[in-house]
Amino acid sequence: MEQNGRIDHSIISLEHVSKRFESAGRVKEVVNDVSLEVKENEFVVLFGPGQCGKTTMINLIAGLEPASGGTVTVDGKKVEGPGADRGVVYQTTALFPFCTVMGNVEFGPKSRGIDKKTRRERAQYFINLVGLEGFEKSYPNQLSGGMRQRVGIARAYCNDPKVMLMDEPFGHLDAQTRYMMEEELEKIWQKEKRTVVFVTNNIEEAIYLADRIILLTNCPTSIKEEYIVDLPRPRSYVDPEFLKLRKTILDNTEETL
Amino acid sequence: MKKHFVGEKAEKTVYAILAIATFFLAWAFITTFTAAGETTPGPVEVLKLLVDSFFEPIGRFTLYGHLYYSIRRVLVGYVVAAVLGIIVGIAMGTSRYAEAIIKPIFELIRPIPPIAWIPLVILWFGVGELPKYAIIFIGSFTNVTLNAYTGAQRVDPTLIGCAKMLGTSDRDIFLRVVLPSSLPQIFAGMQVALSTAWMAVLAAEMIGAQEGCGWIILRGSDTTNIPLVLVGMVVIGVVGLLLATIMRMAERRLCSWNRMDV
Amino acid sequence: MTELEKKKQKDKRKFALISVCSLCIFFTVWYIATAVMHLMPDYCLPSPVQVLEAFIYKLGNKAPDGGTLFQHIVASLKVALSGYVLGAVIGIPLGICMAWFRRIDLFVTPLFDLVRPVPTIAWIPLMILWFGIGLGAKAAIIFVSAFIPCVINSYAGIKQTKPVHLWVAQTFGASRTKMLFTVAIPTAMPLIFTGLRISLQAAWTTLCAAEMLAANKGLGYMIQLNRSLARADLIIVGMLTIGFIGTIFSAGLGKLESKMVKGGKKG
Repeated sequence: MEQNGRIDHSIISLEHVSKRFESAGRVKEVVNDVSLEVKENEFVVLFGPGQCGKTTMINLIAGLEPASGGTVTVDGKKVEGPGADRGVVYQTTALFPFCTVMGNVEFGPKSRGIDKKTRRERAQYFINLVGLEGFEKSYPNQLSGGMRQRVGIARAYCNDPKVMLMDEPFGHLDAQTRYMMEEELEKIWQKEKRTVVFVTNNIEEAIYLADRIILLTNCPTSIKEEYIVDLPRPRSYVDPEFLKLRKTILDNTEETL
Repeated sequence: MKKHFVGEKAEKTVYAILAIATFFLAWAFITTFTAAGETTPGPVEVLKLLVDSFFEPIGRFTLYGHLYYSIRRVLVGYVVAAVLGIIVGIAMGTSRYAEAIIKPIFELIRPIPPIAWIPLVILWFGVGELPKYAIIFIGSFTNVTLNAYTGAQRVDPTLIGCAKMLGTSDRDIFLRVVLPSSLPQIFAGMQVALSTAWMAVLAAEMIGAQEGCGWIILRGSDTTNIPLVLVGMVVIGVVGLLLATIMRMAERRLCSWNRMDV
Repeated sequence: MTELEKKKQKDKRKFALISVCSLCIFFTVWYIATAVMHLMPDYCLPSPVQVLEAFIYKLGNKAPDGGTLFQHIVASLKVALSGYVLGAVIGIPLGICMAWFRRIDLFVTPLFDLVRPVPTIAWIPLMILWFGIGLGAKAAIIFVSAFIPCVINSYAGIKQTKPVHLWVAQTFGASRTKMLFTVAIPTAMPLIFTGLRISLQAAWTTLCAAEMLAANKGLGYMIQLNRSLARADLIIVGMLTIGFIGTIFSAGLGKLESKMVKGGKKG
C-alpha cells in the first residue's frame, strides 16, 4: 500500500466483501462480493432500492458486524470491530436520551479522557456549526427530528473520526426538513472536510451530495454501476444536468419488490 | 382553550368536594341513626381520636413513636434491598453468567409472597427489629431486582453500538449507557417495592411487634376498639401516600429526560 | 458459517448447564449446612430432605395443624377465589364506567383515591371486627385487594382509547354504547388482563396475611401455626405450596390472556 499519497490514497477499501445471515438454519445472502475504494475527503453515496443491504454495508465498515468473506480496510488497518476512527450517523439518530445535547456531542471525547475544557470547547464549536447554539442543555426528547439529526452529526464530527458513515440519516424526516438538512450537511462538509460514506434511497439526495454515486443491486447487494457527479456545488435540484443524471440513474435502478 | 381548561379543573374540584362531603355525611348519618352506629364510630369520633393520639400514648408510645418505628423499619429494609437489588438485577441483565447462576434460584424463591416469609423469619430472628428488616427486605428485593434486570436487558443495542463507535470502553459503556438507560425501569421497580415494603411492615407489625402502625390496628382489633382501627388505617394511608409522592418526585427529577414533551 | 449457529447452540447449552449446576449447588449447600454441619438447629432450618419428608407426611396427615395439605389448599382456594371473582366482577365494570361516563368519573374517582392508599392488609382488623373470622371477613379482604387493581387497570385501559378510533366509529354511525363495546373495551383488554393478573397476585398475598391473623384452616394458618410449634419443615412446605399455586395461577391467566387478547399487546 502506498504511504501518505495524500490525495489519491484510498482511505476505505472493501475487497471482495460478502455477508450472509443465518437464522433458523436458513442462509440469507445480503452482500455479495463488493469491492470498493473510497478516497480521502471523498463524498460517496451508496444508492439502492428499499431493502437491499445498504445498512449492512455501513455496519461492515463500522465493524459492528463481521464480514463473512473478504476484508474491509480503513486507513490501512483491517476493520475487526467498532472503533473511534469511524463516526456513524444513524437513521434513528441513536442519541443518548439521558444526555443533554452537550452531553451527547462531548460523549466521544469524554470517553477518550480528553479534559473538560478542551472537549467542551470542541463540542461547542460543532454545536454551533450545526446551528444548535442555545440548545446545549436540552434533552433529545425536547428536540425536533431535524434538530436531533443535527446533534447526531455534531456528535460524530466531534470525535474527529477519519471517516464518517451515514446510514440514511434523513430517512425519517419530512420532505421540507430533509431538503434543509441536505443543504446544511453540504455546508458542514465543505467547512469540515471528511471522507463520507452516505447511504440513501432518495435519488435527489444522492445527486445533491455525492462526489460519486455507487448504484447497488437488489439483495444480495453488489455494485451495479458507478457515477461520478462533477456538477458544481451547491447544486440545484432543477439544473438540467442534475435532472439528466437523475433519469440515467433511475432508469438503471432495479424495482423493489 | 385556557379558559376551558380552568373550567374543567374547577368542575373537577367541585365534584371531588361534593363526593367526599357526601361520603362523610353518609357515614355520619348511618352511624348516628342506624344500628350500625353501635359497632362503628362516626367520622367525628375518629377524628377526635386521631388528634388525641398525637398526645396520648397508645400502648407504649404516642402516634409519633409508632410512626417512627414503622418508618425506620421500612427505610432500613428498603434501602438495603434497593442497593442489593439494583446490583444483582443489573448483573443479571448484563452478564449471561450471572443470569444463568442467579435466575433459577431467584425464580424458585420469587413466587413466595413476602408475607409468607414472616413465620420462618420470626423463627429465625426472634422478635427484635431484625426480623422486621428481613421481611421488608424480602418484600422489596424481588421487585427492585426484577426491574433492574429487565431494564438492563432492554438497553437499546444501537446505543451500545453507538458508544462503541465513539471509542467508549466497556466499563464506561456500563456506567454511562447501561446504567442511565435502565434508570426509569429501576425507578418503576423501586416505586412498587416501596409500597410493598410499606405493606410488609404492616404485616410484620401485626404478627409480631409491640409498636408501629400495624400494631395500632391490631391492638384496636384485639380490644374491639374500631375507632382506633380506623385511626390506624387513616395514618397508614397518609404515610403510604407520602412515600409514593416522594418517590414520584425523585423520579421526576432524575428521569426528566424520559418523559415525552416536557 | 454454520459455525456461528453452532456456537450459539453451544452457548445455550453451556448456560443451561450452569443454571442446573447453580440449582444443584444451592441444594447441596443447604443440605450440607443443615444435615451435615448442623449450622442451624432443625427447628429453624431443616435440610431439604426433611422438607421433602414433611411434604410427603403432610399429604396424608392432619397433625399438627388440623388438616392435610390438600385440605388447607382447598380452604385457601375457596376463600381466595370467592373474593377474587367478586372483586373482578365488580371492579372491572366499575373501572370501565368510571372511565367512560364523565359524571361517574368526577364523582367516584375522588372517593376511590381516598381509599386506595390504604394497603389491603390494613383492612384485615376492620373486616374481622365487622364480619367475624369466618369466610365472610376473609372473602371481604380478598375482595378489597382484588377490586382495587381491577378498577385502576380497566380505568386506565379505557382511558387510553385513541380519539381517532372513536371518530372512525362515529363516522360509521356507531352509538356511544356501541362504541364502548366495539372500540373502547377491546382497546382496554390488555390492561384489564394486567389488572386481573396483578389482583390475583395481590389476592393471594393478602390471603396469606388474613389466614395468618384469623383462620383455622388454610395455608396461611398452617405456616403461622407451625411457627408456634417451631416446625420449620412444615413452614417451608407451606411457603413452597403458596408460591407454587401462585405460579400456576399467573401461568393460567397468561394462557387465557393470549387467547382472549387479539392483535397483540402494543398498538
